[in-house]
Amino acid sequence: MRVSLYVPADTWLHRLDPMTKLLMAAAGVALTFVLARIESGAVLWAIFFTVLGTGRVLRQAGSVFAGVGIIAATFLIVQGLVHPTNATPLIILGPVVFYKEGLLIGLRLALRLYNILSATLVLVLATNPADLTEALVRRGAPARLGYVIMSVLQIIPTMVAQSAAIADAQRSRGMETEGSLWVRVKAFLPLMGPLVTSSLIATEERALALEVRGFGSSARPTFLKPEVRPPHAGLVRIMCVLTLAAGVAGRLLLGW
Amino acid sequence: MAVVEVDNLRYRYPRQTTLALDGISFTAEAGEFIGIVGPNLSGKSTLCHALIGLVPHFYKGAIGGRVVVAGLDVHATPVAEMSRRVGLVFQNPFTQITGAKLTVYEEVAFGLEYTGVPREEMVPRIEEALRLLGLWELRDRSPFALSGGQMQRLAIASVLAMKPQVLVLDEPTSQLDPSGTREVFEAVAALCRQGITVIMAEHKIELLAEHADRLLVLHQGRLVADGTPRDVLSRAVRGELENEPAPAPPVTEAAAALGWTMPEGGFPVTLDEAVAVGRAVMAGDSGADSR
Amino acid sequence: MSTVIEARNVHFHYTPGVPVLTDVTLSIGPGATAIIGQNGAGKSTFVRLLNGLLKPVSGTILVNGVDTRTQTVASLARTVGLVFQNPSDQLFKSRVIDEVMFGPLNLGFSRDEAEARAREALAQVGLQGVETRNPYDLGLAERKLVTIASVLAMGTSVIILDEPTIAQDHAGVRRLGAIVDELAAAGRTVITITHDMNFVARHFRRVVVFGQGRVLADGDAASVFSRPDILHQTGLEAPQITRLAQALALGETPLTVEQFVDLVRRRLSGSA
Ligand SMILES: Nc1ncnc2c1ncn2[C@@H]1O[C@H](COP(=O)(O)OP(=O)(O)OP(=O)(O)O)[C@@H](O)[C@H]1O
Ligand SMILES: Nc1ncnc2c1ncn2[C@@H]1O[C@H](COP(=O)(O)OP(=O)(O)O)[C@@H](O)[C@H]1O
Ligand SMILES: [Mg+2]
Ligand SMILES: [Mg+2]
Repeated sequence: MRVSLYVPADTWLHRLDPMTKLLMAAAGVALTFVLARIESGAVLWAIFFTVLGTGRVLRQAGSVFAGVGIIAATFLIVQGLVHPTNATPLIILGPVVFYKEGLLIGLRLALRLYNILSATLVLVLATNPADLTEALVRRGAPARLGYVIMSVLQIIPTMVAQSAAIADAQRSRGMETEGSLWVRVKAFLPLMGPLVTSSLIATEERALALEVRGFGSSARPTFLKPEVRPPHAGLVRIMCVLTLAAGVAGRLLLGW
Repeated sequence: MAVVEVDNLRYRYPRQTTLALDGISFTAEAGEFIGIVGPNLSGKSTLCHALIGLVPHFYKGAIGGRVVVAGLDVHATPVAEMSRRVGLVFQNPFTQITGAKLTVYEEVAFGLEYTGVPREEMVPRIEEALRLLGLWELRDRSPFALSGGQMQRLAIASVLAMKPQVLVLDEPTSQLDPSGTREVFEAVAALCRQGITVIMAEHKIELLAEHADRLLVLHQGRLVADGTPRDVLSRAVRGELENEPAPAPPVTEAAAALGWTMPEGGFPVTLDEAVAVGRAVMAGDSGADSR
Repeated sequence: MSTVIEARNVHFHYTPGVPVLTDVTLSIGPGATAIIGQNGAGKSTFVRLLNGLLKPVSGTILVNGVDTRTQTVASLARTVGLVFQNPSDQLFKSRVIDEVMFGPLNLGFSRDEAEARAREALAQVGLQGVETRNPYDLGLAERKLVTIASVLAMGTSVIILDEPTIAQDHAGVRRLGAIVDELAAAGRTVITITHDMNFVARHFRRVVVFGQGRVLADGDAASVFSRPDILHQTGLEAPQITRLAQALALGETPLTVEQFVDLVRRRLSGSA
């Protein structure tokens, strides 16, 4: 059972301190909203691709991207079909007509979604959640807030682990969960209820476990690992700020 | 001076009609090792939780009486504060992992970090706890990639490293192998000698008989016996405790069946005592009645 | 003795390079077999291989002569029932009765039959009046009993119990012992992992000792418990009463208090 999406590795991205990665993510999210044109959104995504790729988490990011593909496709289809500015038919499939204007808007939305996702994934995939929490608590964030962040980062992996455990329990008692897609879908549906319940219970039990270990006590926390900021962190931070500045300027002056 | 003072503690879980704890009173001194025994549902876990304040702060419900542990009034102190002086090892090790750390080593560090132990002190304490529980080789593993017994060892190590003034353990060895169990009992007894007060709920009566200074027997939320292992177990084996809430160790049962008694009265409760008495009887130079 | 379960040269690891089971060869037939050994020895891993949840990295596991690789876990579940060590890994329904009926329903019993079996199994483990409770509102001991009942209700010919006595009180352990005796007497194959040596001595004909992923000893309880070398090496110890007899040099290996008392009386009257 894994309770973190974090992919341990030793890359420039992993070695960066959590605050720098937080800054990267924040700059990325800000830029998604600053930049208006599709081309600029695509450039931003290309940057994220490079970051995730050189951080060796592209494979994991890829599966998340694929998972969210349905939402992106929905954007394209819905906007392409019904957006009020639709005027130029682009694809005609019998009675179904997709318009250029709507498709472009859908594409922009989808890119925005992927960019926000990528920014988050830099944090989620390449940052040890404990380190992130720790970095925030060090800077005076209340431990409770740290706990909330940690829990949020753990929701998905906990659910994945729980659903694997439940599936094992079910097949051990004779419920077919292996085989064709239909069998697996049929097995998955009755899993949803127990999944939510057992995830809630796990969260509650974890809260207890944290509490008796002094989490949230008035003591000023100390930390096992000294905080290290690698030499390249400064450079990355400057790059983030410069990119953000360039983005804002480009948008204002050149309409990026 | 008493480190643990429980006075007429009564507690009922929310939406329940019966009391889970019914008029419990006892005290424990610094360095004392107290064993809690009793059948399932007798209230052992509830009592353990009441000593650190999970009862009533977490479970809510109705509470009466007074609990003072390590100088803090438990009913008026948040659990996180209590945990700086009182350590609790839960009955179920699987629920004790914080999930906040990725390795066994860091998991042990967690409690030290949040109770503000200086870094220089942390490192030796973690190593000591991990070695004591036989986990040193596994220190870089994920806490979730452990066997049940290894996870239970981790739960104990994490609390031992915090060096609490009072250590409460709820069936801490239920999934440990015999040598692991023995090591935990010995480690805990060593802590008592350093002045730490230990309260342990356990079914492993043979080991409690050997190490505990006193046994408390619970039955349906009530304290039905409180005394030295010799005293309590001799009464138990003679059937003097109502409803047989506590089994006696095998050697005590055998001694009772054979009429082997200790020179100072009562039956032997540990292997060593039984061996001493048995040798005397078998050599034929004892007054013990061998029927 | 007929063979129901057979492991041939089984190797297994979770992480390459960290072997968990090394060349395990073992056949188990009807009756009660205990598996004992140090924490982390690979006992739970071994039984997860037997019900097909894990597949050997190399070697084969045969259940009634059929390779587990060729079957789904669900179809193996008709033959092999496994109670997990950690109850939270096994419980997923919100009412005890539904949890216990789940297995029988999958085996094709009607709702009425399944419910009857479930009630019977709950009574067998000594749980009554909890049918409509949520398993997670029960204490650990009762939760463990629910998981045992949910496997008993399936009536499989092989029953594997991973540390059934966790958290059980004296009466609970006795009841579980009676269940093991009953199943074994009925010709079922009962495999039990446990750290409770008194429980082993009282109820198991055959004892298999695991150590660091290998089978270190295999024999009847008296022969295993009279091998201090093996016991010491694997962090085990003989039941307290057996150790008392050994310390008194009584010459035999009694496994229970009754056997010990009997032995002492014989020795004393013999020498008198
Ligand atoms: N999910 C897992 N991932 C990686 N390693 C694991 C996993 N589960 C168990 N292990 C390791 O495999 C080895 C055998 O574990 P297993 O659970 O089979 O032990 P066990 O004999 O049942 O022990 P216990 O008596 O403590 O329950 C141990 O070293 C353990 O750390
Ligand atoms: N979370 C809970 N909610 C309601 N009742 C509980 C809860 N935990 C325990 N109880 C009840 O409290 C009593 C004592 O249980 P417990 O302290 O777990 O006993 P033990 O540890 O001795 O087995 C039992 O009657 C049990 O049903
Ligand atoms: Mg309990
Ligand atoms: Mg195990």
